[in-house]
Amino acid sequence: MFEELLEDIAQKNGLREVNTYLKLITGLGAILLCLISTSYIPPLFIALVLTGAILFLARVDAKTYAELFIVPIWFAVMSVAGIILISGGHDIFWRWDILPSFSLSITRESINQGMFVFFRVIGGMSAVCFISLTTPMTDIFTVFRQCRVPEIVLDLMMIIYRTIFIILDQVLQIYNAQVMRLGYSTWHESIHSFSSLCGAAFIASWNSGEDLIRAMDARCYDGKFAIMGETRPVEYIPLVALCAFLSISFTVVIFSEGITLM
Amino acid sequence: MSSIILEARDIRYRYPRGMEAIGGISFHIRRREKIALVGPNGAGKSTLLSMFNGMIRPDSGIMFFDNQPIQYDNKSLRILRKRVGFVLQNPDRQIIAPTVYQDVAFGPTNLRYTENEVKNAVTLALQQVGLDGFERRPPHQLSSGEKKRVAIAGVLAMDPDMLVFDEPTSGLDPAGSEDIMELLDELNNEGKTVIISTHDVELAYPWADRAILMLKGEILREDIPEVAFGNPEFVRKAHLSIPTLLELHMELEKRGLPLQGKKPRTVLDMMHSIEMMFENTCCHIRPGMITVCNVDQESRDYLSTWLSRQPGISVGAMGTRAKQCAENSQIRLDFTYGVIDKCILKALLGEDSLIMTTESMVQRVNQRVEAYGKESGIHITVSLLEAVIFPDNRGPGGHI
Repeated sequence: MFEELLEDIAQKNGLREVNTYLKLITGLGAILLCLISTSYIPPLFIALVLTGAILFLARVDAKTYAELFIVPIWFAVMSVAGIILISGGHDIFWRWDILPSFSLSITRESINQGMFVFFRVIGGMSAVCFISLTTPMTDIFTVFRQCRVPEIVLDLMMIIYRTIFIILDQVLQIYNAQVMRLGYSTWHESIHSFSSLCGAAFIASWNSGEDLIRAMDARCYDGKFAIMGETRPVEYIPLVALCAFLSISFTVVIFSEGITLM
Repeated sequence: MSSIILEARDIRYRYPRGMEAIGGISFHIRRREKIALVGPNGAGKSTLLSMFNGMIRPDSGIMFFDNQPIQYDNKSLRILRKRVGFVLQNPDRQIIAPTVYQDVAFGPTNLRYTENEVKNAVTLALQQVGLDGFERRPPHQLSSGEKKRVAIAGVLAMDPDMLVFDEPTSGLDPAGSEDIMELLDELNNEGKTVIISTHDVELAYPWADRAILMLKGEILREDIPEVAFGNPEFVRKAHLSIPTLLELHMELEKRGLPLQGKKPRTVLDMMHSIEMMFENTCCHIRPGMITVCNVDQESRDYLSTWLSRQPGISVGAMGTRAKQCAENSQIRLDFTYGVIDKCILKALLGEDSLIMTTESMVQRVNQRVEAYGKESGIHITVSLLEAVIFPDNRGPGGHI
C-alpha cells in the first residue's frame, strides 16, 4: 500500500540518523519561507534544494519521488489554469467574452499570479515530502512527547499507528480474497463486495481491539506506555547545513521581492 | 532441581454459554522443565495455557504457582504475570507499540522500572533473541520470524521465571521454527521453565522433557516423549502422528533387528542404535574432534585465521549471538540447529568440526558429548579454541 511505502522509505532513508528537530525545522522553515515570499524565485529555489537533498542525501528513488508529485501537480495545474483565466489585468494577451458580463482572459498579471501560486505549491510540496520521506512517524512521536503533547493523546496515536498497518493488512487480504472470487466483476457485485468488506473490516478491528486489551493485560499494563529511547544528538555538519539553507533561502526571499516572471 | 513451580488440581472451565473447555485436569510442572502440550485443534490447549498467567480463571479447582494458590485480584495478577511470561500465537496481536524498542519496553515500563533499568532490560532481551539494532524499526516491517522474536523479547524483558508459548512455530518456515526451538532451549538453559503448546510432533519430540497429550479438555497421557508419542493408540486418538524416528525404530524392532539402547530421539541416537547392530564398525574410524569457540571471548581475527588453516572443517553456530557473530565475520555455517548432534555425527565419520557458541552454552557441549560418550563408549575430544595452542599440530581424537 502507498502509505506503507512512504513510511518504509522514511525508515531507511539516508538522513534517518540526523536529529529529528533539524529535519522538522528544515521542512517547516521551508514552508514558512515559501509563504512569506512575494516572488516565484524563493519557492523554486527551495524546491530545487530540497529535491536535491531528498534525491542525493536521503537517497530516495527518483521515480518514487516523481510519483509523489503526480497528484498535487494535477491539482496545481488545474487551479493555476483557473487563476490565469479568471483573474484580470491590464496587459491583455488573449480575451474571450463568453457572456456580456463575464469574460475569460489571459493577462501578464494573471500569468505572473498563476506561476507564483504554482511554484509555491511545488516548494511547499517538496518541503512536505522532505519531512515525510526523511522523518518516520516513530521519530515524530518522540518529538511530540518532548513537546508535552498530553500522554493520552500520544498513547492513542501510537496505538492507532500500530493498528493501521494490521487492519490495512487484513483489509487487503479480504479484498484480494474477494477479487479472486470475482467479487468486483460487475458494478452491482462491487457494491455488495465493498459493503461486506467494510463489515468484515469493522469486525476485524473490533476483535483486534479486544486482543489488544488482552495483550496489554498479559504484560502488566498499568496505564503507562514506554517512551522511545534516546534521540540522536544534533551534529555539527547537519546543523551548519540547516543554518546555511535557511539563511540563503531567506536572503533569496528578501532580494527577490517583487520579481515576477514576465 | 525438582521443586514444583506450577500445579493444577482438578481444574474445570466452561466457556460462557458454551461447551466444557477443560474438564478436570490435574498436573504439575517442575522448575526448569521443558513441557510440550500437544493435542489437536480445540483440545483446550490455549485455554489451559491462558490459566497459567491468570488470563482465564478456572470455574473450579485450584492453580498453584510456586506453591501459592493463584489469587485473582489485580495486584497478585500483576506479580503473577511478571513471573509467567506469555507469548501469543499471533505476534501481531501481541506487539502493541510502534517501534520494537517501545514494544519490548512496554512490560518493564508498566512494572515501574526506572528509565535506565528499562533500557538495560530492553537491550538484554533484544540481545537474547538476537535482534540487537532493531530498536527503532516499526514491527510491521519485520518478517514473521522477527516479529515472533520481538514478542518473545517483550516477555523476556520482564525477566519471568516461566515462559508460556502458544504455538511458537506456527507460520514460520522450517529453519525459522528450528531457530525458535533452539532459542527456547537456550532460555531453558538459562534457568527458565518453558511450556509450549503445539501440534508439530516432530518439533516437540526431540525438544521436550515431558509431553502432555490433550484431547477434548482432558489429559490423555503425560509422560516422557518416547512413551507419550510411542503409543499408536494414544497418538491416533489425539489426531497426531508418531514421530518419524520413533516409527522407524518401532518398525525395525518389529522386524526383529537387535536394536539396543533407548528409543531414539535424534538422528544421532538412531545412528548409534544402528551402528551398535554392526558391532564395532564405528571404531575402525578414528573419531574426529570437536572444537568449541566461545564467541564472547575469542577475537574474530584469530577465529578467521584459525579457520583458514582448517580447510573443509564443518562449522556450526549455536545460539543467536553466535550466529550473528558468524554472519558478521562472514563465516559460512554448515549447521544452524541441532548443532551438537550434527557435530558428533561428523566426528563419528572421522571429520573435525567447530562449534561457535556463547559462554553459557560451552558447558552444554561438553555435557552432551560426555553423555554420548558414556552411552556409546566412543570418546570424542572436545577442546576449547583458546586451549588449542598449536592449531596445526592437533593430537588425534582419543579412543577408549
